[in-house]
Amino acid sequence: MIKFERFTLPNGLRVIFHHDPTTPLAVVNTLYDVGARDEHPDKTGFAHLFEHLMFGGSVNIPDFDMPLQLAGGESNAFTSNDITNYYDIIPAVNIETALWLESDRMLSLAFTPKSLETQRNVVMEEFKQRYLNQPYGDVWLELRPLAYEKHPYQWATIGKELKHIEEATMDDVKTFFSKFYNPSNAILCIAGNFKLKKIKELVQKWFGDIPSGIKPARLLPLEPKQEILKEKIIERKIPSDAIYLAFKMPERKSFEYYISDLLSDAIGRDKSSRLYIKIQKELKFVTDIFAYITGSIDEGLLVIEAKLADGVTFLQVEEAIWNVLDEIKNEKISLKELKRLKNKIKTAKAFQEQGILNRAMNLAFFELLGDANGVNEELKIIEKINENHIHTIANQLLNSNNCSILKVKAI
Amino acid sequence: MLNRTLAPKLNEINKINFVYPEVKKLNNETELIWMKDVLDETVRVELHFNAGTIHSINKVASITNGLLLSGTEKKNSIQINEEINELGVFTDFESNQESAVVAFYCLKENVIQAVQLICNAIQNCNFPQEEIDDAIRERKQQFLISSEKVSFLARKEFQKKMYSNSERYSRQLEINEYDNITRDQIISFHSNHYLNGLTRIVVVGNIDENQITQIINNTSTWCNTTEKNYENKFINEKGHFHIEKKEAVQTAIRIGMPLFNKSNSEFIDFQILQTILGDYFGSRLMSNIREDKGYTYGIGSAILESYLAGSFIIATEVGCEFVKPTLDEIKKEIDRLSIELIPEEELNLVKNYLLGQLLKSADGANSLMDLYLGVDMHHLSLEYYNEVIHRINTITSEELKTLASKYLIWGNLTIVTAGKK
Repeated sequence: MIKFERFTLPNGLRVIFHHDPTTPLAVVNTLYDVGARDEHPDKTGFAHLFEHLMFGGSVNIPDFDMPLQLAGGESNAFTSNDITNYYDIIPAVNIETALWLESDRMLSLAFTPKSLETQRNVVMEEFKQRYLNQPYGDVWLELRPLAYEKHPYQWATIGKELKHIEEATMDDVKTFFSKFYNPSNAILCIAGNFKLKKIKELVQKWFGDIPSGIKPARLLPLEPKQEILKEKIIERKIPSDAIYLAFKMPERKSFEYYISDLLSDAIGRDKSSRLYIKIQKELKFVTDIFAYITGSIDEGLLVIEAKLADGVTFLQVEEAIWNVLDEIKNEKISLKELKRLKNKIKTAKAFQEQGILNRAMNLAFFELLGDANGVNEELKIIEKINENHIHTIANQLLNSNNCSILKVKAI
Repeated sequence: MLNRTLAPKLNEINKINFVYPEVKKLNNETELIWMKDVLDETVRVELHFNAGTIHSINKVASITNGLLLSGTEKKNSIQINEEINELGVFTDFESNQESAVVAFYCLKENVIQAVQLICNAIQNCNFPQEEIDDAIRERKQQFLISSEKVSFLARKEFQKKMYSNSERYSRQLEINEYDNITRDQIISFHSNHYLNGLTRIVVVGNIDENQITQIINNTSTWCNTTEKNYENKFINEKGHFHIEKKEAVQTAIRIGMPLFNKSNSEFIDFQILQTILGDYFGSRLMSNIREDKGYTYGIGSAILESYLAGSFIIATEVGCEFVKPTLDEIKKEIDRLSIELIPEEELNLVKNYLLGQLLKSADGANSLMDLYLGVDMHHLSLEYYNEVIHRINTITSEELKTLASKYLIWGNLTIVTAGKK
């Protein structure tokens, strides 16, 4: 159980405070309700590029990291298709430094041309390092547009292509900032050994006078219901063939999301999962196979991926995968298996909640979903899932007309 | 009106609590280290074995490590994994040059069952040939995939050159050597280095004495009796070595030299020096090569410690067209440390940053355990970290300049690049 308090500033900034008396550290986590899904199709990779620029100095403070490090702290951030999340870990005695820095960059950035130019280059190197210079690194650049035809999940956070980042202008940057980076579009979560009163004072002091801004309306194109199996084959200079099956799955806030998550565990989480036992251990068709979900807020994907063993054809592996899927669709899973899956989640969650940073991030994310307390409800929701739920979802999801297949052929 | 240009007043970190774990000696070679001050239900258990890759002539060490749950007379690997997963237990198997670790993570209520299951599987493992064949097939493919990565190619070559005086530490295997591994080799490695190779048991969890005794009872016959044979000095091949990979869009760079570990009196000072150079976000290498030039997504330096020695490394991946200017800039930054005094402001910042990091590494039972293990391997006590605080507070720019001119000499470094020339 993660305890927390919640309050909102007059300018609309939502604040969560988590009291942890056991640590000498504090976490300041700022979540902005903007991700790659909010980008214009011709200016992709922008939310992420912008995340880099947030470290390039703000309106009153020329450098973000230097004062934070001087206070004994450190900082980082990540961008997903849904959100942009910034965090500072700092000795609790110096929490005010983090609030000073975070509030100033929420107020306004320095917008120096040098920062934009450098970070464009840095992000292009990141693009190369993560996506272009790794075997199978560009798979998600191919799989997303195959699975999504209308919804902006069709591009990755790094962007569709290097060109979009190359062409970003200062005007673009300023427009993006004023639209998305304001108190009404942010959630601040503070964790550490403090009194609530003190936190309220400090947050009011540093964030209170930031103009509220207008919470941007989100009108994303709806993904039409998929009717047919989609398939694409690409050729790459890689050591072995690989196959990816992506099934559309329910949105983050639904009960069915959790069922789909459990379903993906049953078919491909670990060495007790069905795909591993059947296709890797028994048939030896693959050298690696697993399943997972993308965890996105809107309709996400349940993905199966596998690397083919030498001399095995796509046809053989595909058929074997569909057979395993048919099995879980036709027969309800046993209570023993269900218990196993739930126990694994229980352990994982207990370890995830050990770190103060994880707790702060989770609280902010669940507040975005509607209620920070959701973080404490998850296990109860998972506990409710029974074999019938899994049976129903398996039959809804695991069909060829809900599937996009990407094959990467080694040449 | 709030003056936002003024930074809030800083407070000093004046006290860090270093908490000792409880240590129980199983015998002269083996001990159990237990940190019980855990506030939740989690338990982390690690079994450390004298089973590193230096003890095997081919890939036997890592294959054996990966096959510890591959089956016994009574159960096959699928059954063993199922029983472990039913308890909600996560396992992790790792082998490096000098040791191997079996780690598992579970909830308090399952710890004894988990220990029994895993220890039984390790004790009675009979390494079925089919499992060996599966593992070799999977690893060969993984090896081929890794070989497409410039970072992997650079690391391999770098190890060869950094440990050039020691065949056991520098040897890099090629793919066909997987085929020479026999079941007999694995069985004998298991018997020598696992069933007679336990060096320590690490427990982080709020369990009771009785449960600790049970953990010891399950493992006490494995106490190490095998020679450790750690190397205490490395000699590197100096100069620039290049591995060509035509299709690369980025080139991996590894630069380094043999150094020492915490048991050396200059270690703390060097740690501070290399932090300034490359071991934090605001470091000189990051500020210059990423934040100013934009040549890379990241660059960093670190000290790697082994039991009796250590090494200093710099690692980055840069656009192929930026290799030459990057090397020039790295050289410039290294040389600058011996020529110019570090400005007071910068030194002060790094001192505060390092104290903050130390505070973080002493936060919570798991972090404290890692701190303890970090000094225990060199027969030092947690008192060492008070010495660190003392050095951070007292070290001067002059001292760092002298240290840099003693150690950071460009001509003494091994430079490896892997990518497109």
